Amino acid sequence: MLTTYTISIFTTNTVGLLNRITIIFTRRRINIECLTVSETERKGVSRFTIVIRNENREFVEKLVRQIRKITDVLAVFGYLDDEIVFNEIALFKIATPLQGESIDVKTINLDWNAKVVHWGLEYVVVEKNGTEDEIHEFYSYLKKWEILEYIKSGRVAVGKTEKGLVAYLPEGNWEIV
Amino acid sequence: MGQTQSDQPNFLTGAQAIMQSLVEQGVTTIFGYPGGAIMPTYDALYDYQDRLHHILVRHEQGAGHAAQGYARMLNKAGVCMVTSGPGATNLITPIADAMLDSTPLVCIVGQVRGNLLGTDAFQECDVIGMSMPVTKWNYQVVDANEIPEIMAKAFYIAETGRPGPVLIDITRTAQSDKMTIPFEYKPIKTLISYKPRIDPKAEHLEAAAKLINAAKKPYILAGHGVLISGAEQELNDFVDKTGIPVATTLLGMSSMDADHPLYVGWPGMHGNYGANFLTNSCDVLIAIGMRFDDRITGDLASYAKQAKVVHIEIDPSEVDKNVKADAPVIGDAKSALKALLPLVNKNEHTEWRNEFRKYDEEEYEKIDKKDIFHTGDKITMGEAVHMLSNKTKGEAVVVTDVGQHQMITNHYYRFKKRNSIVTSGGAGTMGFALPAAFGAKVALPEREVIAIIGDGGFQMTLQELGTIAQSGLPVKIIILNNNFLGMVRQWQELFHSRRYSFVELQNPDFITIAKGFGIDGHKVEDRTELSNSLDTLLNSKTPYLLEIVCEKEGNVFPMVPAGGSVTNVRLE
Repeated sequence: MLTTYTISIFTTNTVGLLNRITIIFTRRRINIECLTVSETERKGVSRFTIVIRNENREFVEKLVRQIRKITDVLAVFGYLDDEIVFNEIALFKIATPLQGESIDVKTINLDWNAKVVHWGLEYVVVEKNGTEDEIHEFYSYLKKWEILEYIKSGRVAVGKTEKGLVAYLPEGNWEIV
Repeated sequence: MGQTQSDQPNFLTGAQAIMQSLVEQGVTTIFGYPGGAIMPTYDALYDYQDRLHHILVRHEQGAGHAAQGYARMLNKAGVCMVTSGPGATNLITPIADAMLDSTPLVCIVGQVRGNLLGTDAFQECDVIGMSMPVTKWNYQVVDANEIPEIMAKAFYIAETGRPGPVLIDITRTAQSDKMTIPFEYKPIKTLISYKPRIDPKAEHLEAAAKLINAAKKPYILAGHGVLISGAEQELNDFVDKTGIPVATTLLGMSSMDADHPLYVGWPGMHGNYGANFLTNSCDVLIAIGMRFDDRITGDLASYAKQAKVVHIEIDPSEVDKNVKADAPVIGDAKSALKALLPLVNKNEHTEWRNEFRKYDEEEYEKIDKKDIFHTGDKITMGEAVHMLSNKTKGEAVVVTDVGQHQMITNHYYRFKKRNSIVTSGGAGTMGFALPAAFGAKVALPEREVIAIIGDGGFQMTLQELGTIAQSGLPVKIIILNNNFLGMVRQWQELFHSRRYSFVELQNPDFITIAKGFGIDGHKVEDRTELSNSLDTLLNSKTPYLLEIVCEKEGNVFPMVPAGGSVTNVRLE
């Protein structure tokens, strides 16, 4: 059975590191479902969040160890979904021609916990935060209008633990941003 | 540094900073090849010739392999310096080889001017992108001020932990620009994002010792890590105390005296019968500084399943990668063995040790005897290497290329001295031996260095005869010539119904070629002249090439067919 794993990689902020990390996935023929790179609360530390699906836990553990081996990587974790709090963000550009059915802002707000973030002349942009499944369901709902564009971000995730990032980093003077 | 700049402090250029960094790092030798994008650095080198010995190779691949041979002899980083574009791409093969065989290299590569980066400029290539999968670390320098720190980091990463190749790509402008700060070289002792574990954890050691002490049939596989960490003495002490039989891997060869009573040969596709077969009879398998390569394990599903595995390894990503470890010991082989010694019981495993002898006897009857006392017209590779081993008393540094002669050399050369093998194991790079042997000789000129090469591999890097001739160093070269790409031919014979697809070579006159480069040599075909021929080679005070014409269709045995079980050993 395919299981979703979220791999969190903490690194020093180095040019070209993304390439070095993705090579490890490519070599083992693992498809990256989504990828997010961002800064963290500690100066000079970047955070890569990579989601993959795999059948074999041991395989993922080996992958994590190979990533850990990269010189500029500070720490790596492979999480199952129940071990993290995670979310994604999606934007939908919906056509709203004058003769067409107008969108139902109230339902979008209250039932779907989404919001219109931009009103154009004959279109609107709707933003929805949530898990991948919630976003997919919302997508189905919006299909009654013409969807001009749809985009979804990669996953962002934090571990369900009381510890902060710095507890996992090698000992050092990790200045807060 | 003219007077026009008298108001400016006299700072070094980037190129001078590279040279000064090398000197302060303690580097004495550079293998290199100049070209456009590295010219400012070669200009700076002109003033450093008294401190840095630069060796001009004939092809950048030669520089890389020579630096590998040098590094493996001294266990410190070999340095090579090449230009951008094709200079850099020619270095990729040795870098990949060094990555697989854990060899420390620092490769300094010129790059186009900073303002031309990414524009497809003349001799530009994305060497950072290209070398990323095959380097331990790489970095592009665009600012001269960065040079001392990056150089220090390069050496630290290359030489520590599991050693490996590091590449620094330096733009022409970063070489020619003056630094705007005073030069200061501070060797790096630690990096926040890279902390190799040297000393193993106490609980790991205790768990390993417990398994070892309870074992009835323990078996040690000693790998390259023993040579790299210089743990030969520690291994001997450990073995003498515990009485455990030891096999050495292809790259771990010479970590133990071949005549030590507990030495049982080598495992792997063409390793010894007993060393392979009894892997599946031992109850505790102790792997030291090795990574269970597929050429050692064969079929993983049937490999040492009955055994508890103790895996001493500096690279945590190797533990559980191929073979699951019951007692992993993360750390350097030397400190692990040293720390384990007081925890293990004095023991003898005479009966178990003697089990190997039965296999040795059968192997000797079916293979060695036929090779050494060959009755055919042609000389066999086995008898040639056997004789060489006797004549050199097993004390030479032996550098091999890749193929049949490589396996034969490891089968018949009886290594008596530590750190005496240089071979391309993981990558299996043909063309490795000639430049690597040269590099080994540069590192240790007082030792006899003998390159053993096949006729195919020799023709891949033979231009380095020019480098050897120019240096005058007495590198001894043996070509075991069977006019075939022998290993491929053997596979085609055994597994492809003798369909010999493009394996026969029309060879040049190797002796004329050597003489053209100014290297003396001769060819031997007659068995009765083999002994004298080897004497001539060994007594030569200058580089010498001996071509030994061998049996054309000789096969290398024992053989564990690819992907087969270690108990499925073919002896003929």
